[in-house]
Amino acid sequence: MSTLAARDVTKAFGGLTALAEVSLEVAPSEIHGLIGPNGSGKTTLLNALSGYYLADAGRVTLGEADLTRVSVQRRAFAGVARTFQKPRLLPTLTVVDNVMLGGWPAVRSSFFGTALSWLRARREEKVLRERAEELLHGVGLAPVMTRRASLLEHAEQRFAEIARGLMAGPRFLLLDEPAGGLTPHEIEQLGVVIRTVRDAGIGVLLVEHHTDFVFRLSDRVTALDLGRVIRQGTPAEVRHDAEVIRVYLGA
Amino acid sequence: MRASRAVVVVGVLLALATMPWWARDQYQLHLAALIGVYWILIAGLNLVVGYSGQLSIGHVGLLAIGAYGFAILTGRYEWGPWWALAASGGLGSLCGLLLGLPSLRLPGFYFAMATLAFALIVTEISLAQGDLTGGGTGLPVPGFTAPFDSPGGFHALVLIVAVLITWLTWNVARFMWGRALIAVRDSVVTAQAVGVPVFRAKLLVFVLSGLTAGVAGALFASLQSYITPDTFVFELGLFFFVCIIIGGRGTIVGPLIGTAVLTALPEIVAPLARWSTFFYGLLLLAVVLLVPEGIGHMVEIVRARLRPRSLASFAVAPDAERLARCLRSEPRR
Repeated sequence: MSTLAARDVTKAFGGLTALAEVSLEVAPSEIHGLIGPNGSGKTTLLNALSGYYLADAGRVTLGEADLTRVSVQRRAFAGVARTFQKPRLLPTLTVVDNVMLGGWPAVRSSFFGTALSWLRARREEKVLRERAEELLHGVGLAPVMTRRASLLEHAEQRFAEIARGLMAGPRFLLLDEPAGGLTPHEIEQLGVVIRTVRDAGIGVLLVEHHTDFVFRLSDRVTALDLGRVIRQGTPAEVRHDAEVIRVYLGA
Repeated sequence: MRASRAVVVVGVLLALATMPWWARDQYQLHLAALIGVYWILIAGLNLVVGYSGQLSIGHVGLLAIGAYGFAILTGRYEWGPWWALAASGGLGSLCGLLLGLPSLRLPGFYFAMATLAFALIVTEISLAQGDLTGGGTGLPVPGFTAPFDSPGGFHALVLIVAVLITWLTWNVARFMWGRALIAVRDSVVTAQAVGVPVFRAKLLVFVLSGLTAGVAGALFASLQSYITPDTFVFELGLFFFVCIIIGGRGTIVGPLIGTAVLTALPEIVAPLARWSTFFYGLLLLAVVLLVPEGIGHMVEIVRARLRPRSLASFAVAPDAERLARCLRSEPRR
């Protein structure tokens, strides 16, 4: 069973150690929650897994493959998709176009090939559009499919980003605070989507501040503080860990 | 909507194709050919500036290379014009590659400066290599062979090439590569996340723009029938750039209209020809201030004003079953 794993990853910015020998493993069909106070290294770890930061020491692996020095793009091709804390859609494109962009790893037409053999590009386009529309129906954004992304509400942007991440059929989906700015009702809907993604065999890393949400949804949870793992285990274990309560959850 | 667009395109093409029969004089034909030649360059540049967001102001240098290439190959080495036309395109793309390789890694402003420097260097070389380029006196340029040697014939040739080039760039723009280029323009982080090779995308589109600039240069030289370094002043490079800004980013029809209007403007206001630069400036200012999205998006904007679609929010309601079905069906990898 191939997992997405960080093994003893260390990352420093100047004198500040953001991650100190952090290990974490996301398995297929698993929701792995990642919690911790601000500045504990959650997003840094997500960036190290998706390739935006290269680890100073330690390794990042996907199954047998060593991704430690591999670019963001090659990791996307390997099946690692992600969303951002602040949604990053292309404002001038429609929602469905934005989601289609996520299908880039499935594109076979070369640049000059597209210019010349448009029939093949058009066939690819049709397949991609159908899948994007299905995904948008699935995450519940069908009514805004043809709207420009710049006109979307915050929650809609979050769901659209998830759809974009799912477009290429990833093996792992890394979510950076997906519940941020959502209403309680929307968070419930988000939970439905994330569970469905997990049940389809995709490993989910859930970086989140809404701890109730994380504990409710996750199969395993990792708690970080000051760039170190302070506890890893089932939601119940982590929730009742004295150290986790002291530094993060409070009494 | 789609059908009406096709009708407009066919209508305009018919009007342009029959122009030799209804144009009032040869000068109108010349002007139409000039617009076509400029457009061939701008169609490629539009993918660079309007889609991938790389601010090249030095494409006049690539135009000059195509033009001198054509003039030297046909005049000095007595190549046939067709071979020379193809060679100019190849030369343009090669120079685009050599210019793009080092400069496309630079951030926006510095990239613009690199293209500016390139255009200046090309002018200096054309002045210095007098044996080849005729230096300051310039070079006469042979025309094409029959039936493309008359003004009407040349007009038809330009139209054919322009349609072909427009079609190529439209194919790039409307499919996944177009989305990838817009991602490079609007959010490099997003482009990376979905797997778009950012530098390679910028380079490929720049090479294509070199090809169209080279082809445009060859046709331009033939149209002018005599070229000197003064033909390729830096203002011309700026003019290409402005056509795209006025036309709007991320559209093809906008810059096409921009090219036609800006090229014809000095002629339309003929008594005020001396003021043409003033009008460029005025038009640019008006567009940037009033419709910063460019005239290519004006239809969209007006339509949105007239018919404000209700943006009534709705509750996001995922359909778990449908999502699951979709996720189980793997996309083609």
